[in-house]
Amino acid sequence: MTRYLARKITIYLLTFYVAVTIDWAIPRLMPGDPVDGLIARLHADSTASQELHGFFTESFELDQPLWKQYLNFWWGLLHGDLGPSIAYVGSSVSELIWAALPYTLALLIPAIVLSYLAGNRVGAMAARRKVLDNTVLPVAYVLTATPYVFLALLLAYFVAFQWELLPVSGAYDFSVQPAWNAEFARSFLSHWILPFLSLFLVSFGGWAIGMRNLIIYELEADYANYLQALGAPNRLVRKYAYSNAVLPQMTGLALALGVIVGGALVTEIVYGYPGVGSLLLTAIQNRDYFLLQGIFLFIIIGVLVANFVVDLLYVVVDPRTRTGLQGQQ
Amino acid sequence: MTELGHHTESVSTGTAEISVVVSEETPPRRSRNEIAYFALRNTKLVIGLTVVLFFLALAIVGPWLTDAEPFEFGFPTGQPPSWDHWLGTTAPGQDVYSQFVYGLRASFVVGAVAGCVAAVIGMAVGFTAGYRGGVVDDVLSMLTNVVLVIPTLAVLIIVSAYLSVTSLLGEAVLIGVTSWPWAARAIRAQTFTLTSREFVSLARLTGRRGTKIIVSEIAPNMSSYLFLVFILLFGSSILIAATLDFLGLGPSNVMSLGLMLNLAVSNAALQLGMWWWFIPPGIAITAVVGGLYVMNVGLDEIFNPKLRRT
Amino acid sequence: MATRRKRRAVGAVALVVALTTVASLLAVGGAGAGSQSPFALPRAETLYVSGKQWGPYTNFNPLRPDYNTGTVGLVYETLFRYDPLKDKFIPWLATDGKWVGKTFKVTLRKGVAWNDGKPLTAADVKFTFQTGKLAGSQYSTMWKTGLSSVTTKGNVVSFNFSGTPNYQEWDFNLYSIPIVPRHIWSQYSATEITTGNTDDTSKQVGTGPFTYAAGAGGSQTLQYNRRSNWWATKALGERMPMKYFVDIHNTSNVASLQNFLQSKIDLSNNFFPGIDKQIGGKIVTYYKKAPYMLAANTAWLVPNTTKAPLSDRAFRRALAMSINIDRIVTADYGNIVSKANPTGLLPTWSKWIDKPQAAKLGFKYNVAGAKALLAANGYKDSDNDGYVENKNGSDINLRIIVPNGWSDWMTAIQIIADSTKAAGIKLTPAYPDFNGLVDERNSGKFDLVINNEKQIGNTPYTYYDYLFHLPIADSQTFANFSRFTQAGAAPWALTLKVNKLKSSNVVAAKKVHSQIQKYILEYLPAIPLWYNGMWAQYNTSVWTNFPTATGKGLQNTPSTWNGYLNMTGVDALANLKRNN
Repeated sequence: MTRYLARKITIYLLTFYVAVTIDWAIPRLMPGDPVDGLIARLHADSTASQELHGFFTESFELDQPLWKQYLNFWWGLLHGDLGPSIAYVGSSVSELIWAALPYTLALLIPAIVLSYLAGNRVGAMAARRKVLDNTVLPVAYVLTATPYVFLALLLAYFVAFQWELLPVSGAYDFSVQPAWNAEFARSFLSHWILPFLSLFLVSFGGWAIGMRNLIIYELEADYANYLQALGAPNRLVRKYAYSNAVLPQMTGLALALGVIVGGALVTEIVYGYPGVGSLLLTAIQNRDYFLLQGIFLFIIIGVLVANFVVDLLYVVVDPRTRTGLQGQQ
Repeated sequence: MTELGHHTESVSTGTAEISVVVSEETPPRRSRNEIAYFALRNTKLVIGLTVVLFFLALAIVGPWLTDAEPFEFGFPTGQPPSWDHWLGTTAPGQDVYSQFVYGLRASFVVGAVAGCVAAVIGMAVGFTAGYRGGVVDDVLSMLTNVVLVIPTLAVLIIVSAYLSVTSLLGEAVLIGVTSWPWAARAIRAQTFTLTSREFVSLARLTGRRGTKIIVSEIAPNMSSYLFLVFILLFGSSILIAATLDFLGLGPSNVMSLGLMLNLAVSNAALQLGMWWWFIPPGIAITAVVGGLYVMNVGLDEIFNPKLRRT
Repeated sequence: MATRRKRRAVGAVALVVALTTVASLLAVGGAGAGSQSPFALPRAETLYVSGKQWGPYTNFNPLRPDYNTGTVGLVYETLFRYDPLKDKFIPWLATDGKWVGKTFKVTLRKGVAWNDGKPLTAADVKFTFQTGKLAGSQYSTMWKTGLSSVTTKGNVVSFNFSGTPNYQEWDFNLYSIPIVPRHIWSQYSATEITTGNTDDTSKQVGTGPFTYAAGAGGSQTLQYNRRSNWWATKALGERMPMKYFVDIHNTSNVASLQNFLQSKIDLSNNFFPGIDKQIGGKIVTYYKKAPYMLAANTAWLVPNTTKAPLSDRAFRRALAMSINIDRIVTADYGNIVSKANPTGLLPTWSKWIDKPQAAKLGFKYNVAGAKALLAANGYKDSDNDGYVENKNGSDINLRIIVPNGWSDWMTAIQIIADSTKAAGIKLTPAYPDFNGLVDERNSGKFDLVINNEKQIGNTPYTYYDYLFHLPIADSQTFANFSRFTQAGAAPWALTLKVNKLKSSNVVAAKKVHSQIQKYILEYLPAIPLWYNGMWAQYNTSVWTNFPTATGKGLQNTPSTWNGYLNMTGVDALANLKRNN
């Protein structure tokens, strides 16, 4: 088990280092001067502009040699300081990301977990009964083939605009202040449900299909046939099949994380949900070096941590890893 | 799971969680007739293929049926579908049908090119890692895992925002270069099993070079598998491209389905009820990608009889 | 055994889900920083406004550009206000202002109190204007172009100039510079005053009708509460009818549109695509018919006059003649904008426009004429690809750019590219990100760009400056992006002359205006396309009596954008009535 985990951690650390370096490098390879855009936004006149330009370039440390910026970056990273934002002058990057993060997590975590659990359950059930299989499977294929963007648009169009059942845009009604009361909770949930649903439904499809295929495969395996020949009850066979099928699904979960994170970013943009996705779009549109780096870093760290959590869960679920046997890679 | 004689690769492509089953016992080469027989019987393959071919035909023939260009203005603004404009017009007065069929073309092109690029890189990495094993495998696997973990879309968003993608090919190459890892892993796994077979050892004994062995012995035995991998890459590339185009990060002077969604949303099509502007492109993407996924499963069943459920 | 473990795992996971949702509610709830009104505001006493604020509410400093909605106008006020529709200055914190030789004497109003109770004095005014001398101040120009000192005597503030003052710029400063309290601001450092002090919400001490209440940073709204002892109520009988003023942060125009149509927003200064189809009933705009909105600024097509063929004014004219501006107005904007005068000057400056000259020399949409003009000047289509080539034979393919995401402008340049095709001019639209565009524009790398930065104001001087400012630097950051020098020093000299003419000197001024406009019409340093609207849509479910063209006493600027509240935006708010 330790060898398994150690190997995983090594990969993650390596990934982290590579990702951080790429993350730092990409914005700087781009042409243009972000401070110019900032000044243009301020509509200052010519004399003021020149002074402001020098002032900002200095305060953002953009006049330092590249290698120094790189080292400063790592130093700041280890101190949790991701620098100031260029687009939102006055705010620090960490501030902006922390403010946006709860919203993204509120969408992502329930969506990932619930779609995984529900998808697996339904997929397993579909593998058992042909009737269910014939109805669930096409639906699941359609769902998984639907771009996150389109499902988000469809839900918004019908539920929010045509039938006017739920609102779009924002995390809560703007006439309500964040507080610990039922009104705020209700407003929050009514804004949350549609983006959550569109993330959930698309991912659900994928898990259901995957599980269904795996279960079928398991049920046709030698051990299953053997058990059935011996007269074991179907439930027992199914239980073993399920336990075995869960393993590659879990590996799949780790892989799917990157995809659903991408889906969450886009969904937030469609619904105007004030999470990391919307922040990312603004950062790009303003070519805000520091904010972009910070967001990308957060995404990487988040995905790595989530991968590690899945690996830990995998150790719990697959006994072979604990005894050091060759398990699923 | 070696004791079961197979193992599965759960792969995530775009939004699909599709299991591509890797069989250790490669089925004997089937005669063409046998494959054709099963192919025609397999509902999944038939349905999937029909859908994909329908849209492909539409993409090829569709533009011949209209005089309008996707970026041409001057038509009545915001009209629902009618005899003059089969899919209606956009808010500023463009023909939706022409945007739709040209957009379909773009999607197919991007899917195919990105799929090829990803497949080539994936094959190069996967074959080498699987065949050589040892240190080479460790290094390549580490590389693959590192790239695999990083969320593709996040990387693509940032890179394409900066590189200002101006052509379809540029976008396709970019997508291909970031989508290869899971293909590499799948191919590597399959290559492993094949490498341990007698016919490969024989080939080695005759002193053939590695690449030659891969090309002439291993790849042909995996041809069906490679085809499946390509189909999935094709489908996921279309999805990723649609998302990038929706965000405005794709080429802006080439009409694509994702760009149609983008324009519809920013022109308040949702609020103004212009469903004909954004529903057709969305359905097209869903149908084509869904068709490809279903085809993939159907083909899988044909090539691996164990999966068949008659 | 496996089942129990699995069940535990599932249970743990469900717990994680529940915790996450709760935690996020917690985090969000905690983020309600500075919230003084934990409960929903009474709808009938609240005015909801949107459309101005796209970034987070980080800038509470009125002396920095890009301040939050309402900072200047609701909290801080100016010496005068300006009514662009009547071309009148409204005495505000000052009761009187006149030139005495080279000194401008301002009489400060008595009885004005800051919202912390202390009285407004001449020392505050002097202090505020002297901040222009600090490094990084956006008001430094006046100190470099004539203002030599500010002296006070009682409640009279004297601004002493050396040399002929720049009258037009000075007038602009009178209604633009917000007065800040010396007793608070003298404690700030120079950097804090000019470029800092951006999120100190506890010290918003102003003379205006509202005080800061809640909202900052990434909050969805910014709330102001009505102040009880605003000076204008006693002195002028002006009173704000709404107890709460809430500005809503924008995520996208279409998102605000939904809220607006559902009567959650009363006054929207967003650009709403397709709004022309919604006007009627309780949705009201300034004009009942097209163009529905007042004109706020001119959208210019700015060519880079240092690059061939744009350096040839005949080519520029042919380009202008081949653009179907009407189509942009009707198809892109649904008639909520109007085509610009060939001089590019806004309708409110009508009295300065030499109309016969504009009619004679101005360009008109004429494709055949454009083709003829191109042919006559050596631009031929030799390879028969449908597009003309340069005089030396090389292909012409001009790149026309607008910022990514500005959907109406993106459509506009597509329409432009589509229409110039007919005359044989090839344009390729591109949509770089805003900063990339600014970079291209400022450094002179662009071909064609659309720009509308100069807003409505007291004088067309700003427009002339925008077109003809000299000298040209390596980086042009605020004017003359087209790097126009072809007419020599004359237009810029005339522009400086306009600046040094008092507005009351109408006859002399008109002559100079006419001369400058001739340069615009003949040389086309930039091509005026349409007047961008002062976007304002009203939902009259809760509040009525918004500014309209026909309402009695309601001809005010209905905008909360920066600079508009201190025109007649404040009057617009004061005139509102509850809809019962």
